[in-house]
Amino acid sequence: MRTIAIIKGMAGFLAAIAVWELVRATGTIDSRSLPGIGAILQSMISGLATSDGLMPSVLATLRTWSMGLVIASILGTVVGVALALSPLVETVTRPIVEFLRPVPSVALIPVALLVLGIGLPMQLFMIVFAAIWPVIFSAKAGVEGVDPRQLETGRVFGLSRLASIWRIVLPAALPNIATGIRTASAIALVLTITVEMLVGRPGIGSFLENVRLNGLVTEMWSAIVLTGIVGYLVNGLFLMLEKRLIPWSAEHHV
Amino acid sequence: MSRSWGTSALLWQLCLIGMLLAAWQVSATLWPAPYLPKLQTVLASFLNFFHGNLLFSAVLPSLYRFAIGFGVAVLLGSFIGLTLGYLRGLNEWVRPILEYLRFLPTVAILPAALLLFGATDGMRIFVIAFGSIFPVILAAMDGARRVDQVLIDVARVNGLTIPQRIFRVILPAVLPAIFAGIRIALSIALVMMVISELIAANDGLGHFILRSQRLFQTANVYAGVLLLGAIGFVLTACMLAIEGRFLAWYKGWRGAADAI
Amino acid sequence: MRSDRAFRSSSEGVAVPSILAVESISKNYGSAPVLDGLKFEQRPGEFLSIVGPSGCGKSTLLRCIASLMQPNSGSVRHKGNTFAEPPSWLSIVFQDYSRALFPWLTVRQNVAFGLHHIGSRERDERVQAAVQAVNLTHAIDLYPWQLSGGMQQRCSLARSIVVRPELLLLDEPFASVDAQTRIDLQDLVIDLSRRMNLSTLLVTHDVEEAVYMSDRIVVLSTRPARVVEEITVDLPYPRDQLATKETPDFLRLRHQVYTLIRAQAKSNNN
Repeated sequence: MRTIAIIKGMAGFLAAIAVWELVRATGTIDSRSLPGIGAILQSMISGLATSDGLMPSVLATLRTWSMGLVIASILGTVVGVALALSPLVETVTRPIVEFLRPVPSVALIPVALLVLGIGLPMQLFMIVFAAIWPVIFSAKAGVEGVDPRQLETGRVFGLSRLASIWRIVLPAALPNIATGIRTASAIALVLTITVEMLVGRPGIGSFLENVRLNGLVTEMWSAIVLTGIVGYLVNGLFLMLEKRLIPWSAEHHV
Repeated sequence: MSRSWGTSALLWQLCLIGMLLAAWQVSATLWPAPYLPKLQTVLASFLNFFHGNLLFSAVLPSLYRFAIGFGVAVLLGSFIGLTLGYLRGLNEWVRPILEYLRFLPTVAILPAALLLFGATDGMRIFVIAFGSIFPVILAAMDGARRVDQVLIDVARVNGLTIPQRIFRVILPAVLPAIFAGIRIALSIALVMMVISELIAANDGLGHFILRSQRLFQTANVYAGVLLLGAIGFVLTACMLAIEGRFLAWYKGWRGAADAI
Repeated sequence: MRSDRAFRSSSEGVAVPSILAVESISKNYGSAPVLDGLKFEQRPGEFLSIVGPSGCGKSTLLRCIASLMQPNSGSVRHKGNTFAEPPSWLSIVFQDYSRALFPWLTVRQNVAFGLHHIGSRERDERVQAAVQAVNLTHAIDLYPWQLSGGMQQRCSLARSIVVRPELLLLDEPFASVDAQTRIDLQDLVIDLSRRMNLSTLLVTHDVEEAVYMSDRIVVLSTRPARVVEEITVDLPYPRDQLATKETPDFLRLRHQVYTLIRAQAKSNNN
């Protein structure tokens, strides 16, 4: 069953590739802008094999991305749990949250440039600012969804408040938090690449900008395709980790 | 939250906002820095958006691109998603490629869009639509796949034709899922609007913010961010209102289902 | 006119075409047979029940009869004719009431669902009448989630009778309501089917319910389902939850049907 599904999925990809090649063949779009899939894949593989092309860019992007995501996950969980446990703090800060949340994160890049310059801190700040929201809200929802009976059980067994947060609230909220982090990981990747593209920090983003400005069309497409693979793998990795590390998550039973 | 401390909560909220604004103003006065303009200059810049030049060179171009790109994503995405979901057998064929495109960080296609369309409005609209269409497609598709077989049986027993089944059974049943997808699409579309203007434009809010930053007109930068936040807030509120209007039944239904 | 039930005449030798003839239908899911050459007839105006052990394929049978599904062999005829799509003379009340109502429509709109081809004036009148017939007038503008389980099932019932079917199919309609509601619904269905001169086909696993409500009972075997026996229930009308169920005839029939079902379950276990 599973291999059949994989074959069908591959067929879907092949059909998309066929459409691409068809567009090239009919000449609706200048074929210089639209290299063949074979050439793109070849350029991608050789780019990954050499030490001064795609590979270092991908690694740089992944390094910054993971740093930002770790910070956003920890900070977001702490803030989310705090907001859930303290209705007072939640109420008082609500207008600020409601004001900050709808700001399209990338619009803050110029502001971050002004205040923090063009270094790593600025990039990390942008990643964290954009990616923290899903973690905060899922952690908050997770904690608020903890069954009061479980907390009562904890009290019956004489757990202190801190111990009951650590041993009951966090595990119960973990499936939610994990989902939030998975959403955050995709957002963080977008922000990492955007900042690279705009301010030239090393990574896929600046690689893309460079090859575009130099008219290296095939290299550009190969970097785009590879970025998609990275995004796909990142999501898959998080799904796998969730299944492994949080077997009690209700999401797997659906 | 009880009503009785509703007013005191409001006071606390105002208090915190007041304190933050005061702290800003005091630091701006005592330690002037380029990135810390006084509040009154930010406010003046903000008000500039609503008349004359800036309205036409910054606000309206952005809104225009957003409206078309997002509109295309919602309509086309719902249509594609519903079709793919209704034809259940197609799921395994198309899902991997759709998932791939969905998790492709959309900024990465900006260089390609620039190459294919040039620095035009068409390019920006394409990028906005491309970025926000996949959440809508996948949500509509999953929604359509999950429509209860019993409801379709009821429609068949009552002699509904296939178009009638789609409009009277599938579409209403899928609407909650589509709205969930649209909510995700909305914030992506806004982000893509700004990015496309930051990277290649000579008008629009993104361009205005970036240019102001390069000219060290920091009050303008903050005012632009403020306006974008306000636009995001208003759009979200509008969408929730539309959702509430169309999905009143869904809230109660979900609530009742959760209670069991 | 109803006092002399139409099907009685057939037993006196006058040929009456059956409203429904199930002719040796078989159905497999993959290689697993579910229905195995089922064969029975229903006469016009008859209240027929199908009982069988749990999971014996009763719902599959109903879906085949309604033409929601095609059997692998055999056919279903209405007055001698076969049909391919769910026909307009037939209506179904589905088992799972919470899933079978459209959550985005009110009671009124749910009941009107099948009347899309009818002018609004007549539609309104018929909806009103159907809703009144099931005692839901006070809840006509409520949404399904605002109704109790029994009320939801009455709404389903109204939606099925408002199209004025000749044959009403009931798929374990009272399976998930509480005991008191179930009793009320049973009497409501008996009353409606007699008043409207409906032929009613009830699928159930509740022996007592089948005996209490029916004119005749078809007992099925375990999967793959075959007809084990047909039993005529000649209890007088009107039926009463207390009086009818205390008659020796009722007890005898209940004993007979229950014994058949239990034998089936046992043969399956061995």
